Amino acid sequence: MNVTVLYVGSSLLAPLRDAEREINRAYNLDLRIAAYNFGAVLDDDGWYEVEHDLSQANVVFVIHVMDGENAARLLASLENYKTRHAAVIVINCMPELMRRTRMGKLDVSKLAGAFAPNGETHGSKSKRALRLFGTASSWIGRQTRGHSTTAMKSAADGGGNGAKNGNGSKHDHGQYLKLVDRLPGILKFVPGVGAMRDVKNYLNIFCYFLQPTPANIQAMVLCALKEYVPDARLAQAGIKIPAPEHMPSVAIYHPDASQLFETFAEYRNWYITKSPNSKFQIPDFKDQGPKSKVQSPKSSESVLDPSATIGLLLMRPQVVSQTTKHYNALIRAIEAEGLSVIPALSTLMDNREAVGKFFVGKDQSKVQSPRSKVKSKDQRPKTKDQRPKPEGQTTDNEPLTTDCSRVSQIVSLTGFSFVGGPAMNDSEAAAAFLSELNRPYRSAVSLDMQTIDSWRASQTGLNPVQAGMQIAIPEIDGATEPFIYGGLPERGVEPIALDDRCRRYARRLKRWNRLQTAPRNELNIALVVFCFPPNKGNIGTAADLDVFPSVWQALRKLKDDGYDVELPENADVLRERLINGNAGEFGSTANVGYRMTVDEYRRHCPYVNEIEREWGVAPGNLNSFDGELMIQGIQLGKVFIGVQPTFGFEGDPMRLMMARSGAPHHGFMAFYTYHSKILNADAVVHVGTHGAMEFMPGKQVGLSGECWPDRLIDELPNVYLYSVNNPSEGTIAKRRSYAELISYLTPPMENAGVYRELATLKDLVMSYRQTDKDDERERLFESIEEYSRLSNLQVERAGASHPS
Amino acid sequence: MTSKLNSQERDARVMRLYEQLLEIEQRLIPTGLHVFGQAAELQEKADLLRMVASFDRPEHGTRALPKLVAEALRIENYDALLNDSSPSETKEVIDGLVSQAVQKFCESGADSAADWLNSHAGVEPDKSIPTFSLLTKVAEQLDSNTELDSLMKALRGEYIEPGPGADIVQNPMVLPTGRNTHAVNPYSVPSQLAFARAQHTAAALLQRCLEEQGHYPRAMALVLWGLDNIKTQGDGVAQALWLLGVRPVRDALNRATEIEVIPLEELQRPRIDVVMTVSGIFRDLFAPTMALLDKAVRRVATLDEPFDMNYVRRNVQEKMAAAEPCDFDDAVTRVFSNAPGNYGSNVNFMVMDSQWESEATLGDLFVTRKCFAYTRDSKGRSVEGREAPHLMNDALSRVEATYQNIDSFEIGITDVDHYFEYLGGVSKAVETRSKSRPAIYLSDSLSPQVKVRTLQETVRLETRAKTLNPKWYEGMLKHGFRGVAEIENHVANTFGWSATADAVDPWIYTEISKTFLLDPIMFQRLVELNPHSVRSLMKRLLEAHERGYWNPDEDVLETLRERLNNFEPEREQIA
Repeated sequence: MNVTVLYVGSSLLAPLRDAEREINRAYNLDLRIAAYNFGAVLDDDGWYEVEHDLSQANVVFVIHVMDGENAARLLASLENYKTRHAAVIVINCMPELMRRTRMGKLDVSKLAGAFAPNGETHGSKSKRALRLFGTASSWIGRQTRGHSTTAMKSAADGGGNGAKNGNGSKHDHGQYLKLVDRLPGILKFVPGVGAMRDVKNYLNIFCYFLQPTPANIQAMVLCALKEYVPDARLAQAGIKIPAPEHMPSVAIYHPDASQLFETFAEYRNWYITKSPNSKFQIPDFKDQGPKSKVQSPKSSESVLDPSATIGLLLMRPQVVSQTTKHYNALIRAIEAEGLSVIPALSTLMDNREAVGKFFVGKDQSKVQSPRSKVKSKDQRPKTKDQRPKPEGQTTDNEPLTTDCSRVSQIVSLTGFSFVGGPAMNDSEAAAAFLSELNRPYRSAVSLDMQTIDSWRASQTGLNPVQAGMQIAIPEIDGATEPFIYGGLPERGVEPIALDDRCRRYARRLKRWNRLQTAPRNELNIALVVFCFPPNKGNIGTAADLDVFPSVWQALRKLKDDGYDVELPENADVLRERLINGNAGEFGSTANVGYRMTVDEYRRHCPYVNEIEREWGVAPGNLNSFDGELMIQGIQLGKVFIGVQPTFGFEGDPMRLMMARSGAPHHGFMAFYTYHSKILNADAVVHVGTHGAMEFMPGKQVGLSGECWPDRLIDELPNVYLYSVNNPSEGTIAKRRSYAELISYLTPPMENAGVYRELATLKDLVMSYRQTDKDDERERLFESIEEYSRLSNLQVERAGASHPS
Repeated sequence: MTSKLNSQERDARVMRLYEQLLEIEQRLIPTGLHVFGQAAELQEKADLLRMVASFDRPEHGTRALPKLVAEALRIENYDALLNDSSPSETKEVIDGLVSQAVQKFCESGADSAADWLNSHAGVEPDKSIPTFSLLTKVAEQLDSNTELDSLMKALRGEYIEPGPGADIVQNPMVLPTGRNTHAVNPYSVPSQLAFARAQHTAAALLQRCLEEQGHYPRAMALVLWGLDNIKTQGDGVAQALWLLGVRPVRDALNRATEIEVIPLEELQRPRIDVVMTVSGIFRDLFAPTMALLDKAVRRVATLDEPFDMNYVRRNVQEKMAAAEPCDFDDAVTRVFSNAPGNYGSNVNFMVMDSQWESEATLGDLFVTRKCFAYTRDSKGRSVEGREAPHLMNDALSRVEATYQNIDSFEIGITDVDHYFEYLGGVSKAVETRSKSRPAIYLSDSLSPQVKVRTLQETVRLETRAKTLNPKWYEGMLKHGFRGVAEIENHVANTFGWSATADAVDPWIYTEISKTFLLDPIMFQRLVELNPHSVRSLMKRLLEAHERGYWNPDEDVLETLRERLNNFEPEREQIA
């Protein structure tokens, strides 16, 4: 017998495959479960396979399907094979599909709207069950309706801020949590015979689905087969269906632990005893990071030290279904960097609960005023004077342990918005919550709708459906570092990790941690300015920004805040030192801050051979002098101000005419190699809109280690000062070079006014309009014509307006 | 000749001039640059605040002050009046009242401004207070600045609050700055509001084509960017959909993934064929939207409608039946962008570098870089960047007009090199492929009234409002070195419109040279501030002459050459 499952997600595929095997072993039913990931729109060939399976299916499960195009085809097929399908069980799908649920006497398409029939035959338990059924089967529909109203609201909000939810959906969220926890208990009292039987079956199946442990998924399939497939073997097999296993709705998970932890205290006790010196440190990863002064982990005090602990948010179904290979690998990669982890299961709809419960300490005695108070609105400086206020908090690098957070950074692996779940996003609530907590928020993505192989092969990278939902929406919550860290392998049923990405990610987290904890005067900060078109006069190019005074302001602030800065007298002195200095000696556009030998370049940069294929033998003729690579910039204390090289093909008609650009040139690569390997920068700040690095070839979003921006930025934390009126190019920097954007104001805007001949002309025109004497008008008209000529302002059709 | 005008014609002529003068005078321009961490250096906030107050903002519960005044004065057809570009006394009365009220606001705050507007125009304070409160907030936020604090927070590894990105006038919620700017959910585009706005813009655009060409364009080439489509939630996308005569339909997750055809009876005009050249950034940020546009073209191409009412179908059918026939998938390809992972047409680089010989090269370069097709074929297979120059050449060969939506006062067509790179690039490509120069249009969609202008008009307007305007260049020169570079960049970008579209009147170059180079005092000033950019500026003007875009008096050329020769020869730059 055949079961077809059309499903969006990656956590059920493995349990379904195991269920097929186990059921066949136990009952010898010749069961075949065909499970499809229905996340992306299928092409004709893909659909043909689905259609074939649907034509053979006895039972069909449709789960999480929200895509209109797939749904349209599916609806037609369900109609076609109606007689063939003994049951169609639709869970958490769009309303049109929900109506296709058909189990025995239960046919949702024939139920008229309300789910609370008042027939006398039903007892109060039955009514309750019917209400629950209503809740379960229309929950997603209400979610998306809630989404529609908020989307309209956000549409009205012309700036494109995220959607906000209303009270209704918060209520739904509560209901859903209640369902997860209480449904099994309630169902015990619902009669399993008569009219209520099928409703009860749906709810039972729903219970199994909500806790997708391997045993529950097996039970879910068995329940549907036993109840609905008219096959003699089923009756003879003596099938016993176990009660649903229950898992907590929020908890802490760790791959080395045999159980989930329901409280932080339990987790901590376990984590400390778990041998810190053997399992945590994988020798291969040691000592390759920055030669930092960070203490070597990990004594038992440093275990779960809040300043070195990463809070991870995991998808609950993934943990419950035991498909956590990708999580495990990322957790181990982070631990290998000497950091601790708190991997928390989050509820689908709202991560605040898990964060509040596990990432925030309850020990109020230790709590001091949260750092986030620093930026409360009434303390924002109101004057133009930007000299630091004596605020204490800004000058010493106090460790992050003084407030109640147990984590230094939060990494969401859920792929959904922080508040709101898959169907909506309440970014305002998310930002408010995260601001209060004041910990950076990252979001990393596992490939659920494409295989790792197809991602690797793809020039575009992450599938647009996932990019839209799992990159763009978390960004609205303030998420950064959008990495792909795992995904489904070809013909695989559960996600695995991309080890190199996990390692890169872990190291970036480690670098950010260093910024949080190291004494400021030990930190190397790099500021990068641009120069386009390449010409001395353009050093410090940035849309709307006067770069040198801006850099000077930043330097002064850094110095005031305790960083090691040699502050030039003023912005002009700074500029002269950067654009002149020793530039003449090396024929360079700006001062040369470092000369890198080709040997050094080859030693530090693993991509030289690839670059040579395109740009010839290193050092090449860009940013080079006398056989060495010139890194343009100046060192001011522990701050380096560098001039980013340009693409290098600006003056090269041959390269300009190529449809595809290739690798960056040696000078460009050397510039970033210098920053990460020789300067050992702890952070790089790109100054102004915009540079070239994030536009280097590679995937669009969800980069791999083959993509040039990923190679260039390497492990460097990247802060990018970006014009607030350019969210589009800024987003490219965020996605392709892992930049955290700091928006800057656009210039003062005023009316253009009129000037010179135009001003005279306007006066004449006004005089003309104010007089009604024809002779005077005639006289004025001559002057008007004269000034019209002088100012080259000829009568033209000054802009068509919409004819209303 | 003018003497032949009768008094009515004369009046009309003066009114036209007046209209153009007002347009220049009231255009918002930047009057300086921003210094990171510093509060806005606004001499005069009233202009900006008045513009902020010119829009209904339902998301803030605020109304446009001009509309409130019009209502209080019982002017019934205010919307129509607003959309009529010609000056009217009623409009001037309203604008005058609003200006004074905003001035009052700047002097003595929201309450007294509301009172003033009540006593002078009868606007109930209850209605105007929300708007003035918004202005209060904007003004306060402009007076403070926390960008440096945010930078320090970021460097300490703290959370940076997210915020939207846009012009201040478009969305005052971009304040305060110092936040982590985000884009939008691509599936939300186009929003209902954007779709409603686009109906007017598309109508104005086609009206203008009709008036000037005498017929609807058989095909148009549209430039789509991420920039305006994020900031407006899809104005440009919605305009393309209107030209095709379809509307977006949302799925269960409220994602715009489907389209619905607007019947011809409702549309009342032919469906226009649109060739969409999409920036690499749009492609990255709006993949689902590209799919929506592709779907729209494919749907329209298969409608059973007469050729003279469905230009898409006509063009596709003709292509399929041509001497070298092709299949439907090829004939219907209309969405083009860069190769995956690549950005830009490089036309700007080529123009800036001056190493090109014929203008046609610029159009060819555009096609070389932008001819990658993004579509889903008839079998539902996704095509992500198939290099298809022949398809793009063919599609462009039928284009009669090119167009781009402009949504910003802050980023205009001579402020950055990307506008000429794209709209100029595609127009040049059309010119050589269709053997005729297309009409080139731009809209001004961030305006209380929608305007469509030709490229030439827009170049003139931008040049007058910015490059030649002492208010603009003195504002830039306050920033010394960088200010001179800004002037030079504006001239270079203006030159880009000569190179790609021959859209720059010679007098513009004359005035530029008079203002910046021939005036000895100004020249000296610029040289002292930034000799490198002055040098580039002189070379650019001489290039404009050498390429035939400008033919000044010989003594002007002599002076320029002499001054250039007096400069130290600058060494060849390395990148």
